[in-house]
Amino acid sequence: MTGPPRNFGAELAVVGSGMAGLAASVFAANRHITTALTGNSGALAYTTGYLDLLGRVDGSTAEVADPWLALEDLRQARPSHPLARIAAADIRAAFDEFTAFVGEHGIAYSPAGAHNICALTPAGTLKRTLCVPATMAAGPRAVSEKAACVIVDFEGLKGFSAREVVAHLAGRWPAIEARRVAFPGMPRGEVYAEVMARAMEVPATRERLAEVLRGVAGAARVIGLPAMLGMHRPDRVHAELQRLTGLEIFEIPTLPPSVPGVRLRELLEQALPKAGVTLIPQHKVAQVSFDADGAALLLHDSFGPIRIRARAVILATGRFLSGGLEAHPNGIREPLLNLPVTQPAGRADWYRERYTDSRGHPLHRAGIEIDAESRPLGPRGRPLDDRLFAAGVIVAHQDWIRSRSGAGIAIATAYQAVAAAQRYLGPRPPPGAPR
Amino acid sequence: MAQTTIPTLHFKEAALELLPPGANFDACLSCGLCSSGCPASGLENMDPRKFIRMALLGMDEELSNTHWVWCCTLCKRCEYVCPMKIDVSKLVFLARGNWPKDRQPAGIVRSCALTQRGASTSAMGMPPDDFVLVVEDVLEEVRATQPAFRHLQAPVDKPGAHFFVNQNSREPMSEPEEMVPLWKILDLVGADWTYASSGWAAENFCMFTGDEEAWRAVIKTRVEAVNALGCQVWLNTECGHSYYSMWQGVERFGLDAHFRMESLITWYARWIREGKLPINARWNRQGIKFTVQDPCMIVRKSFGDPIAEDMRFVVRTLVGEDNFVDMQPNRSANYCCGGGGGSLQAGKREQRLVYGKRKFDQITATGAAYVLTPCHNCHSQIEDVGHHYGGHYGVVHFWTLMCLSLGILGENERRYLGADLRALID
Repeated sequence: MTGPPRNFGAELAVVGSGMAGLAASVFAANRHITTALTGNSGALAYTTGYLDLLGRVDGSTAEVADPWLALEDLRQARPSHPLARIAAADIRAAFDEFTAFVGEHGIAYSPAGAHNICALTPAGTLKRTLCVPATMAAGPRAVSEKAACVIVDFEGLKGFSAREVVAHLAGRWPAIEARRVAFPGMPRGEVYAEVMARAMEVPATRERLAEVLRGVAGAARVIGLPAMLGMHRPDRVHAELQRLTGLEIFEIPTLPPSVPGVRLRELLEQALPKAGVTLIPQHKVAQVSFDADGAALLLHDSFGPIRIRARAVILATGRFLSGGLEAHPNGIREPLLNLPVTQPAGRADWYRERYTDSRGHPLHRAGIEIDAESRPLGPRGRPLDDRLFAAGVIVAHQDWIRSRSGAGIAIATAYQAVAAAQRYLGPRPPPGAPR
Repeated sequence: MAQTTIPTLHFKEAALELLPPGANFDACLSCGLCSSGCPASGLENMDPRKFIRMALLGMDEELSNTHWVWCCTLCKRCEYVCPMKIDVSKLVFLARGNWPKDRQPAGIVRSCALTQRGASTSAMGMPPDDFVLVVEDVLEEVRATQPAFRHLQAPVDKPGAHFFVNQNSREPMSEPEEMVPLWKILDLVGADWTYASSGWAAENFCMFTGDEEAWRAVIKTRVEAVNALGCQVWLNTECGHSYYSMWQGVERFGLDAHFRMESLITWYARWIREGKLPINARWNRQGIKFTVQDPCMIVRKSFGDPIAEDMRFVVRTLVGEDNFVDMQPNRSANYCCGGGGGSLQAGKREQRLVYGKRKFDQITATGAAYVLTPCHNCHSQIEDVGHHYGGHYGVVHFWTLMCLSLGILGENERRYLGADLRALID
């Protein structure tokens, strides 16, 4: 037995709930576009929580200090790169709007500044990023000031080692040391950052950890912890722990599954419905088709079919991990609409000889083509449908991992796609006007 | 006496048969989202990721023998958060069924045996005549002692009634007066309903033994009972796994059900929206805070978020918008309380309490004085972890609080109310 089909209607359907799909839904909700958001969990839980714009120049190993200047270079060197096709003012506006939204709901971010921030990776190396969560902001500051600092990790926690972090940083930061503690009230065995983060939402747990941290701080006034300071209200948990310890505390991202990613997902899954978005979480869309009345989307959950009717669709299904692209023996496919995929001529050309080749691999630049209105191109090089838009790393001509630009591409292309969808759907009250 | 040996299952082969075309356990990225989000991780030195990795490595003997399969509550949160949608619970279910009966947890086996014993399908073994008698006795007492309800009805075996209402055995067996609030609500909304002497019970521990034949037999009795009375809707009351075992059972075993299977939560919401159930939060003048537990069996495993939304609509109406504090995470992403999958009868109390610590933390973080949950197993487990970890919250049924709101809660129907709530109506 299955239930009767459940039907939803919206002006805009967003397919995919990674960073691009979530950002698109934020922008659409702010523009008074009624929106339905669907998609599987995707890769958000694997992210650091940092919002990168451009951390490396494409095709080089040089780090980018000023991403806005680097974008100018990108426009010259790689005009087909998705970020090269978006005005810097729009990219900045997109970051500002996105971080304002998540900030309002409990995860404050540093504003998009003129320069990249030099932030800590889980291994204790440094990377360039544009915006960091407020819970992590003291880390880059401590790195530059070289204040006396203790990096703390937890018994049973895999994927984050204070000793490793310290080993990488000690050369430039002599006043740093590593300590390992037991997380209060946790049974012995493997401990997960997610579990600690949720336990930190409980005031009594915070008090007990504060006592432990005061015990290991010694003369240091700064403590670095793996990202585990709360899941639902990290800013509050962070502030409370600083108050209880009298210490400055910062989080360092961990290996997946990472708390900052799960935080963003859970925050947006609650904030978006409150902003009027219809959320159909954790299920992949099986079919999208267009007819005279608009788009029809079909998906299934354990209870049966779900149908969505919408006037326009944003495709934000990601790459291989999330199923937006599929690798087959005879080539790379876009499975949902069978959009043409720009890709190397043959499978032999997917990778270069050396896996660590600094130029990257041609496969990673594969993706779909879009026009200036964010519309995916069909087989004849024309938009497949005027009502279909695309956002995120499914778009070709970028290698987001190598260029440290994943969030930048997701947020900026989502902004652009929503603007294009809005032009199609018709004018609205300005963002911020009463709903 | 020598113990019966647990046969060795070939998990990888079995997985291939269980999975839909195109899906496979090889797709596991080993990312650990499943284990990170599973309250059973670490119990019996096992977790969902380890289970999958061991299956892929052919460690069949270890997996066939691990007691973890009785600590996992089959809540499917691992599948929910998995980017590859790998369902570990399918393998756990298989492993459970592979254990010889004499090695399975005696409590679950006994409950299943009792369920199969008579036409009631009651896991507490209550015979049909006893059930009917208890209903009649309780009804008679209500009519005699509560003048406003001197015409209250609790029909049994009424042919053609719209709703076939199921009943968890715990009430007629242990706390019969707890049946009354629901009768009053059904009376108030003018529902055309009936109990039945056959197939009335809600619980189905046979599903938790992994014994498909026993599961099927229980559901078949219930389906036949509803068909025989010609009811349009089998209405699942405040019991989680009964819903899942029924609709999954009907689908899995291809049973011929001539009725719809619906949840009381959906109907609470509908009756409120239609103005038939005029509950409100005016009674909550002290601003007592409530949170709600999403039973896995009716939210994540069955209806998904829409029923979680209905439940929140009901709770907000009932306790006041400002007095509802959601747990984190919630809805389909909520954690199992640790009482699911038969674990309350599995005899592993220590593990069950470790499992429940996650739920305890969630509840404590809300600061709520009460947890509302429409599931008996959630109810028992959340009470138990509260006592164990020194919590200060109570657990209440929806029907109790609704009748409190309506001013019709009888004096002996207040078992789950704390002093603060009692003070409001005494």
